[in-house]
Amino acid sequence: MAARSLEYQIRDASIRVVNWNNLRRMDWMIIGCVLLLALAGFLTLYSACRSMEIELLYRQIGGFLIGTVLAVCLTAVDYRFLVSFAPLAYGISVLLLLAVELTGYMAGGSERWLELGPIRIQPSEMTKLVMVFMLTWYFHVLGRRIRKLHWFILTFVIVGVPTLLILAQPNLGTAATMAPLTLAMLWVAGCRMWHLAAVVLVGLSIFPVVYLEMKDFDPEAAPFGTVTDNPEAKVNPKSMLGLKDYQKKRIYAFLHPDYDPKGSGWHTTQSKITIGSGGLSGKGYLQGTQTRLNYLPEHHTDFIFSLLGEEQGFIGVCIVIALFAAFLFRGLMFARDCPEMQGTLLATGIVTVLAFHIFVNIAVTVGVMPVTGIPLPFLSYGRSFYITVMACVGVLLSIPARPHMRFVHRKGVS
Amino acid sequence: MDSEKEPNRYEGVSTRVQLLALAIALALTLLCARFWQLQIVNMHEYAVMARDNQVWEKRLPSDRGLIFGRNGEVLADNRASADIVFVPGECPEEQREHVVQRLEALLKVPADSILSRMQATRGAPFQQVVVKRDVVKEDRVRVEEHSAELPGVLVVVAPQRRYLYGETGGQILGFLGEISSELDEWKPMGYRMGDIVGKGGIERVYEHDLRGQDGYAVVTKYASGRPEIRTDRRGLPVVSPRDSQGHELREEAARRNPVSGEELYLTIDMGLQKACEDILRGEVGAIVVLNADTGGVLALASMPTYDPNVFVTRDPNCEHSDTLENCERLNLLRAPEPNPMFSRAYRENYPPGSVFKVLLAAAALEEGIIDEHSTFFCPGKFQINGAGRAWHCWRRSGHGSVNVREALAYSCDVFFYNVGLRLGVDKINEWSHKMGLGVKTGIDLPGENPALIPSPEWKAELFASKPVWDQKWYPGDTVNLSIGQGSAAATPLQCAVLTAAIVNGGYRIQPHLNVELDPKESARLLSEKTIEIVQAGMLQCVEKQSPAPTGTGKAAYIEGMKIMGKTGSAQVMSLKHHEQFANEEDIPYEFRDHAWFVAGVLDRSPRISVCILVEHGHHGSSAAAPLAKDVIEYFYREDPTPPVLARLDGTPQ
Repeated sequence: MAARSLEYQIRDASIRVVNWNNLRRMDWMIIGCVLLLALAGFLTLYSACRSMEIELLYRQIGGFLIGTVLAVCLTAVDYRFLVSFAPLAYGISVLLLLAVELTGYMAGGSERWLELGPIRIQPSEMTKLVMVFMLTWYFHVLGRRIRKLHWFILTFVIVGVPTLLILAQPNLGTAATMAPLTLAMLWVAGCRMWHLAAVVLVGLSIFPVVYLEMKDFDPEAAPFGTVTDNPEAKVNPKSMLGLKDYQKKRIYAFLHPDYDPKGSGWHTTQSKITIGSGGLSGKGYLQGTQTRLNYLPEHHTDFIFSLLGEEQGFIGVCIVIALFAAFLFRGLMFARDCPEMQGTLLATGIVTVLAFHIFVNIAVTVGVMPVTGIPLPFLSYGRSFYITVMACVGVLLSIPARPHMRFVHRKGVS
Repeated sequence: MDSEKEPNRYEGVSTRVQLLALAIALALTLLCARFWQLQIVNMHEYAVMARDNQVWEKRLPSDRGLIFGRNGEVLADNRASADIVFVPGECPEEQREHVVQRLEALLKVPADSILSRMQATRGAPFQQVVVKRDVVKEDRVRVEEHSAELPGVLVVVAPQRRYLYGETGGQILGFLGEISSELDEWKPMGYRMGDIVGKGGIERVYEHDLRGQDGYAVVTKYASGRPEIRTDRRGLPVVSPRDSQGHELREEAARRNPVSGEELYLTIDMGLQKACEDILRGEVGAIVVLNADTGGVLALASMPTYDPNVFVTRDPNCEHSDTLENCERLNLLRAPEPNPMFSRAYRENYPPGSVFKVLLAAAALEEGIIDEHSTFFCPGKFQINGAGRAWHCWRRSGHGSVNVREALAYSCDVFFYNVGLRLGVDKINEWSHKMGLGVKTGIDLPGENPALIPSPEWKAELFASKPVWDQKWYPGDTVNLSIGQGSAAATPLQCAVLTAAIVNGGYRIQPHLNVELDPKESARLLSEKTIEIVQAGMLQCVEKQSPAPTGTGKAAYIEGMKIMGKTGSAQVMSLKHHEQFANEEDIPYEFRDHAWFVAGVLDRSPRISVCILVEHGHHGSSAAAPLAKDVIEYFYREDPTPPVLARLDGTPQ
């Protein structure tokens, strides 16, 4: 099947792999949003690092520049050409994930990184983007056949293999990204509504299972499998879902915020204090006391948005969320208006992944979700993640920039 | 350009994308609502929590007030206990090794132990690493001289309580300990967990005067690291400029400096106290010396005693906690009888024995039962109608016909059996309470024992569960009470107060240790006449030249002084029992009588009253009276030399 679709794409006369003219047709709204968010990110990161770790800011700017070059290159490339390589990329990333598993197994611990000579790569991070391409390719090839149940189920097999490998690392946050991505792309690909509804229902049924799982969990007790001589010693029961003890502790701390405010709940409590004390207009740039006195943990990575909330207040928070919203909605407009399915699916996938990151990260800082370790695009410190995000932006920009594929404006379609 | 050219676009795809957009919009709106809740609705709550996070009230400890004796001698003070500490963060990395080696050479502390302690606090480079605790002055000077080549080495001074006379007066001064059950009650006064407070004696009673006002420094509080205390040039505590993690601290508000506690002046004569303790050494007992006119306590000795310095520690968790001193402290607290922590002078009661006759004589004279000429015949024993037994006089051959003066001088029991019966138990009780027996004297020391003068009501209550004939008060009980036996009990301090009333002309005094505390003005209890008669009897008791037979207290006689006294031998068990033993020395120690002697000096200033009790000392005349002579001689000696300090505790003065 793969050979046939490749054949089809190559026969398409309009494919021109690299077309620098695409750059002239870039969408200025996306670019504006990205630049403003990047600027906000640098300023916030400066406040978070101050003079002590100023090189973090330089590294972040370096990541932004590398990412910009990559985004420009990706804009010039026809995304359909990239999609045609998706099965290959998928295969490679599954192999890399397996390699991570193996090296981790050999080293006798859990591993997320893979050493390849001088470079260290984190296959789970790039798997997110690869999955967007893979599902685009798969749904494009299927077309309307996605309405058939067996093809629908096959989607979950495709997604499931790398997801399980990532879960096994264990990396719950990245694995969780796969769920909204798959669901959103299935939805836009045109699956049967009741198929999707059934999946969502099955998904929701996880909550009672989590409840049962957490019911007997005691954060003070020894982890499952601990062997003690003391018959009185409490040992946690075996996990049905295979959750590790530290993950259960996080869920427990989320469900019981008063438990151990200096431990797992400490992050959430301090983050809420940080945000809440900002008030309407914030304490002023570089005036955040919670950060200066190190109360806010991870204040340059996962909790950087709390710092923004403290220094810029409700107004600043709303402006940044509005910028994110503008970016995401513009991306979805590409999806809606792209005249062919691959572009629609690609844009949907990219927007969903980014939206999921934005939502979960901010929800963690305000204490409505348990701490998951998902970074915030454009703001959190992390060079490889920044580059990934910029690559997403590049791919997104290339969708409306394709020649002869301009926006099909509403009025044009009728 | 046209959508129909695109075979893969199905109808309704744009609707589905729009619904997806709607879902994202909903999620983001939800987040904004949550921010509204945190930042607008609950803002103040979180602002307070953030402010609480920011500042730290670091306490600067104050000095405890000094305690002085009657002659201005310092009884308790605070010595400067200096610790040599090293702050690794203030020393350049490459010099640390060298500094540690220099410290080893200067202070004789093994470098390994310093390095291992530095290793333990590696995460907090600005935490003070104690090199040597409580150093002597030479060590301190040596370190200060070499301070240029010892970056990061500091001398931190903290006050430490010192009782300069050691065990002399130890029970009076009391001791310090960590606050415990008092905390709840004292919290409004600014006490906190871990405070060192007075746990006994004067330290306890005057805790709130002696305690100073702690100072505060309000400094920045970081999520990790704690502020450390240092000493400035004047020796006052200050907060060091960096906390244990090396964060720079800023004083966020004006500092309040600590204020030392009030000075306390006692009536105690430390020389006399020491003399009394030396006189008693080897015995178990107590000596009380009161200023008979004011009630000021000149000495309140009780043996065995203890040295309150063993309770002195700055920090209960300090590395000294396993030292010998600490074992000593535990041994003290769990000591078997005779417990040195327990002052026999005012917390233990004994049958007053013949000392009680002083009260009985005074009461009978006041009530008009007898006058100075009334006589009773003493045949050596006494019988009352209906009682199946006889009460003996201590002198089996009897005293013949005696009046009240002679009865006091020779301690005739039969005379007082008669007086007691005529006076009646109710009057005896009334006068006992008036003169300070059976009630608390009101001394400013904790845990005073009120002792007991039995009454019919008391007996009925005590034997409430027994047959009715056991509850009844019999005339025989009154007879027993008349000579201070039976259930009667008094503390040596109470007996001294009783004697003081005879000395000062009939006023009951309130004994007190603090000179600021004025004794209550009380009405005169005894008439001039009564005082004259009782004094005459008690003088005759001590008088040597008196016609034979001589008084029982002649061992206390001092040439040229008007000393009055009364002996007492309080039976621990009945006389009959004593008769089993041919020799007095054969009686086992715990069955021997307690020896009492009360004395008063009438012709010197200040007039004093003395009470001596020697547990199981046999006879007041032989075991207690000679001690009174020593005490009185010491107090009125020609050349009052100041007493020698018990110990200096390592630091030169």
